[in-house]
Amino acid sequence: MTGLPLHRRVVLGAMAATAVMSQARAAAPIRLGVLRTVSPAPFYIAQSRSLFAAQGVDVEFKFFQAAQPIAAAAVAGDIDVGVTALTGGFFALAGKGELQVIGGGLHETKGFNLTAVLVSRQAYDAGLTSLDKLGGHSFGITQFGSSFHYMLGQLASAQKFDLKSMALRPLQQVPNMVAAVRSGQVDATMAIASMARPLDAAGEARIIGWVGDYVPYQITALFATAPMIATRADDLRKFCRAYQAGIAAYRAAFLRFDAAGKPIYDGSTDAAIADITKYIFAGDPEAATKIKAGIGWYDVGGALDVADVKAQLAWFASEGMVKGPIDPDGIIDTRFLPTR
Amino acid sequence: MQEVKFRGGGFAPRPIPFAGALTLLLIVAAWQGAASLGWISTRFLPAPLAIIRALVTLVQSGELRLHLAASLSRLAYGWAIGTLAGLIVGFALGLFSLARTPGLAIVSALFPVPKIALVPLFVVWFGIGEGSKLVTLGFGVFFPTVINTLAGVDGVPRNLIRMGQSFGLSRAAILAKIVLPGALPAILAGFRITTATAIILLVAAEMIGADYGIGAFVLSAGNLYDTDALLAGITILSLLGLAISWLIGRLERWLLAWR
Amino acid sequence: MTVKSAVSLSIEAVGHSYRDLRVLDDITLSIPAGQVTVLVGPSGCGKSTLLGILGGLIAPGQGRVLMDGPIASDCLNPLTYVFQDFALLPWRDVAGNVALGLQAAGLSRDARAARVAEVLALTGLTDFATAWPKQLSGGMRQRVGIARALAVRPAVLLMDEPLSALDAQTRALLLEEFSTLIAASGVTTIYVTHTLSEAALLGQQIVVLSRRPGRIRDIIRIDRPLIGRRPGDPDLMAIESRLWALIRDDAADAAREFTDAGG
Repeated sequence: MTGLPLHRRVVLGAMAATAVMSQARAAAPIRLGVLRTVSPAPFYIAQSRSLFAAQGVDVEFKFFQAAQPIAAAAVAGDIDVGVTALTGGFFALAGKGELQVIGGGLHETKGFNLTAVLVSRQAYDAGLTSLDKLGGHSFGITQFGSSFHYMLGQLASAQKFDLKSMALRPLQQVPNMVAAVRSGQVDATMAIASMARPLDAAGEARIIGWVGDYVPYQITALFATAPMIATRADDLRKFCRAYQAGIAAYRAAFLRFDAAGKPIYDGSTDAAIADITKYIFAGDPEAATKIKAGIGWYDVGGALDVADVKAQLAWFASEGMVKGPIDPDGIIDTRFLPTR
Repeated sequence: MQEVKFRGGGFAPRPIPFAGALTLLLIVAAWQGAASLGWISTRFLPAPLAIIRALVTLVQSGELRLHLAASLSRLAYGWAIGTLAGLIVGFALGLFSLARTPGLAIVSALFPVPKIALVPLFVVWFGIGEGSKLVTLGFGVFFPTVINTLAGVDGVPRNLIRMGQSFGLSRAAILAKIVLPGALPAILAGFRITTATAIILLVAAEMIGADYGIGAFVLSAGNLYDTDALLAGITILSLLGLAISWLIGRLERWLLAWR
Repeated sequence: MTVKSAVSLSIEAVGHSYRDLRVLDDITLSIPAGQVTVLVGPSGCGKSTLLGILGGLIAPGQGRVLMDGPIASDCLNPLTYVFQDFALLPWRDVAGNVALGLQAAGLSRDARAARVAEVLALTGLTDFATAWPKQLSGGMRQRVGIARALAVRPAVLLMDEPLSALDAQTRALLLEEFSTLIAASGVTTIYVTHTLSEAALLGQQIVVLSRRPGRIRDIIRIDRPLIGRRPGDPDLMAIESRLWALIRDDAADAAREFTDAGG
């Protein structure tokens, strides 16, 4: 009995979604789904500096708490483009023909220290001091099929430990993961630098490695809905040009390095931070530090790492988290932005 | 001359045997038919056959057994803990003036709290292991049990208790022979609510840190947009509910034969 | 058989109030052993309260009740009630209900079964031993009530309007049975009713209470054995008329009162 109303709601929802999608939305703003984190910084800069307006498109940000709902919102017709991690759920939705990956985003790369592997005090003292020893331990992730799950899988093959031997604990939210490792309820987890560093400094947990040092990986990608591509390709092109301009400004502000490899910060950095704080960390005195800790690699021109997308899809499929054959070329559209 | 017209009748619905099961079957059949004919898109609403296939896969891979075993033991323990505590508190509130008013205040204040919202707190207090899951289920079961037990105890006719006293029954004997059986119908009616509550809360309880369990399976399938598996899991939850409801029906028929 | 119970009760200056409502005032009365005392009075005069005080179920506001006389060694519950609403446990069958007082007294299973069988036979309930109360008519239910009371061999039988929930024909039939059973057992009986014909047919001492607060208005004695009293007997009819004369004005006033609290 409990199943029926739900089924019915799904039918109604699907019908509503179809109705919305079929409506032409000429000159309507492009609705962009993003996480309220530092990772979509080039979009913040582009919006703050009216780069989208300069291209003749109006962009409206829609903020989300987690990656998964961004893809779901796109399918439901609530957003037109989105920047998100390519999770198992994303591939499942894209595989139905609703979503197309069109460009690259943030990358985990050696030297950027974006995502730390954080180990509890107890586990560290008991000998879990390096990544290759993770096998057999419990590990907190948000959900099965999340980017954390994927990164752990990549670490496992890079560091030769057995993912199957680990006890993965889905904890739904990043704060739960951090809390669980602090209290020793899981042996290890992953956390972004701004969360991991203070814990390590306070001795409440230990950082035993940075994901980017071992598994270079395109964390986020830009995607568009099938109706957006089908009916508003021109607007999407303009959107992408503004995105590229945003990336250029981002790279100028954050991704210049001196001979020693240290980032060069100057007036352009401060200007970019001022732009970004319009969207996140508004009024936070630590904003500049937190933004700098969240800075990662963006390719010139927002190039898409096609091979990485395919590798991700292949991994999720091999783990049984993406069902049915999905043609990787069918979910990637390279007409809007360059490829790596 | 005019015949007196009949104007009574009605307002007395009677159960029609098998109509319930038949309705469900017809809906499922119509759903499958519409899907097969392409009238409704199966992209995000899998047809019944696809759900059955997902179920078969779950059974064959042995996964279902693992999920069911984990969930059933959580349901059994969590429900038993909540029910036992609820019965004790419910009887205390029903019998002792000192417990009644303060206890009712606490119960009334905490009953409407959505237990799902408390899951993060339970995780901090009881860990991500079985503890927080059992507490989530137990907590959800506890309050309706208290309310129903209290209503049951209050509903025991006072004259029966006076009768017991007049025959020299001890307090314990009055409790065992009069109050408990008198409250039993309300308590068993409460079981219907609390077992359903427990199944509803299973998904919340298995949200954090569960590798196996129907709730965890449903959540994971939802995250992966594996709609066949998602609806297969929901079908299992629904069947579980039906099975438990049937069991309680048998229990009622056995224990409340006197009604 | 050793001694036979022969308990008399003395009610000494008993009064009672429910909050501000005075229901009984200064009742002093002797209940002779082995006789039937009927309490009659207009509704709300406190006769049920008085019965509750006599059996120890209500603590009197003022005064006290004394018990005197031998109690048989096989008496399991000296002061035993028969209730207006039967007060049967719906989840026990007839035999189980009758056995309740025996269980409370700690009788063995065999002793219980024997006594239950005996009482069921006495009250004509043998064929109904395994019936649920809901399967019985009102009259049969009250037969269970009386069987349950007799099972414990009471020294004093306290009957609280035992027939008022029944229809007239059942009432007449049961009254005859009560008469027979009470006469045979010789138990001291206090019988509360507002039906004057019952009082005349059953009473050896009829205590007429005034309207609230209940006081003793008069005591009428009928020195005739219970056996042989018939409805329509001129002497009894005369007593009924006398009772009615005593009660009528009070009853009329009582009917016009707002009622609250128990009486």
